Amino acid sequence: MVLVTVQLPPEATLQQAMQQLGLTEDEVDTAYGLVPLDPEQGLYALRVTEDAGHRVTPAAGGPFSDPPIEPYGPPR
Amino acid sequence: MRVLIQLRPSPDLVAAVAAPDLTATTADVTGDLPGVVLDHSYTPVALPRAQPAMTGGDPLSLNQPLIFSMAPEEASVLVRGEISDDESSARLALLPGRHRDVVGVYADPVIETSLTCGGTPPVGTWQDVARLLEVAQLEAEGYDGTGVALAICDTGVNAAHVTRQLGRDITIDRDRSWNPGGVSGEAGWFAVDHGTMCAFDTLIAAPRASLIDIPVLLSRRQGGTVMDGLLSDAVAAFAHLRTVLEAQPAATRALVVSNSWGSFSPLWDLAPGQPGNYSDNAAHPFNIIVGSLEQAGADILFAAGNCGTECKDRRCAYPARPIVGANSHPQVLSIGGVDTGGERVGYSSQGPGRLSDRKPDICAYTHFSGSKAFGDDAPDSGTSAACPVAAGLVAAIRTRWPASQLPPSQLRTLLHRTADDRSDVGFDYDYGYGVADTMAILGALKRRAERHRL
Repeated sequence: MVLVTVQLPPEATLQQAMQQLGLTEDEVDTAYGLVPLDPEQGLYALRVTEDAGHRVTPAAGGPFSDPPIEPYGPPR
Repeated sequence: MRVLIQLRPSPDLVAAVAAPDLTATTADVTGDLPGVVLDHSYTPVALPRAQPAMTGGDPLSLNQPLIFSMAPEEASVLVRGEISDDESSARLALLPGRHRDVVGVYADPVIETSLTCGGTPPVGTWQDVARLLEVAQLEAEGYDGTGVALAICDTGVNAAHVTRQLGRDITIDRDRSWNPGGVSGEAGWFAVDHGTMCAFDTLIAAPRASLIDIPVLLSRRQGGTVMDGLLSDAVAAFAHLRTVLEAQPAATRALVVSNSWGSFSPLWDLAPGQPGNYSDNAAHPFNIIVGSLEQAGADILFAAGNCGTECKDRRCAYPARPIVGANSHPQVLSIGGVDTGGERVGYSSQGPGRLSDRKPDICAYTHFSGSKAFGDDAPDSGTSAACPVAAGLVAAIRTRWPASQLPPSQLRTLLHRTADDRSDVGFDYDYGYGVADTMAILGALKRRAERHRL
């Protein structure tokens, strides 16, 4: 899965994002939902399949990598 | 950067330096060199000239019989100095051309036999860290974290363990804590692990802070593994923290976010330069939300990482510039590690950072006997421990200085300005601006309060 970003009005829902980008439920991590990145700019993020991520650009920003993150310690 | 400068002054001066019965000083050998802080405590050393022993030998090869000449017209002299890390490459290249006596400029790396590394036993205890952080003075002046929200984004906190090791009650703010999707468990009740160490270390300087437990590294979302979250979980966690911050009254906002994690390898990322890349890309969604949360008034701290050149973590896979992504964000404090002797630990990642050149920002203490989260004999180690130690100090400051009176950017500048400089030329890529210095911070805050009549 990858991250994409989308511009939406305040208080937008995942359904609105999916509709705007032409995404189906199978292509979206609905449990992750729609996450506001910068409310003042109306910028949101969602997780989608790689294929969908490539298809929805440039209407959406990305697709962006979603790398694993690990604790920085103890040093091995 | 410390450097050795090879000079070829007049033969008389070379002879004076080489003479065993005379003591020439750096000032005798050279005047000021542009951009170099000369170390006048260093006695100049005469350096012989290597020449091929046989006629017709290659003058640039050391793989042949050589003779070494100390004749004054052939030998040279070494002096020691320091140049700013910001322009070390340019200085190294240009100095020989700008000063007729300069023959060459060479790195003068620190040589040590006892650098603190991953397998080193604890260096001091958390009580030593409390003493070095002047916690008694902090508390005497009312800087104890009261009323400050301190988010631990990690593997979850075990409050009972922290209470037991610290010997006092702690506050977990269960209402404002948050789990990523798919993570069960209650704030303060997670298994003893890395997050518990981080929580303990924040409370050294801010014993009365309210901990917000964000077990972002426990996510099992598709694509991640147990104990590795995904960056998308951190995006969601920061969105939650923004709601926490915005629910606070604007005049008294105080939220400190401690992040002792990062990305070790470029393998899971797109290559730098590609639009979807994370490590070098300020437009990545996580880097955007980091900037947005800071703009709203949060102090965000990230560990610099454990990829220092002297004894890096074996997971480090970036070939260079290992402080990547949000750990190098210009709107966060990137924290390197020093032991309780004040020496940089060998695994503490060095700058420059990828999103912002001047990283790490400052250093804080690590590798001490503290939480015992990994066993009775295991230290709280890594820049993983240094970051929450610094976060605790920031939370202590926030007790009396909410973001409305001291915005996060100004607080970062204050920490830079007051840090105990470990070089002679300000910022460097090993220590950043230096080691966080509580007494200097308190002095600066006192002056600021007088100026603003607070």
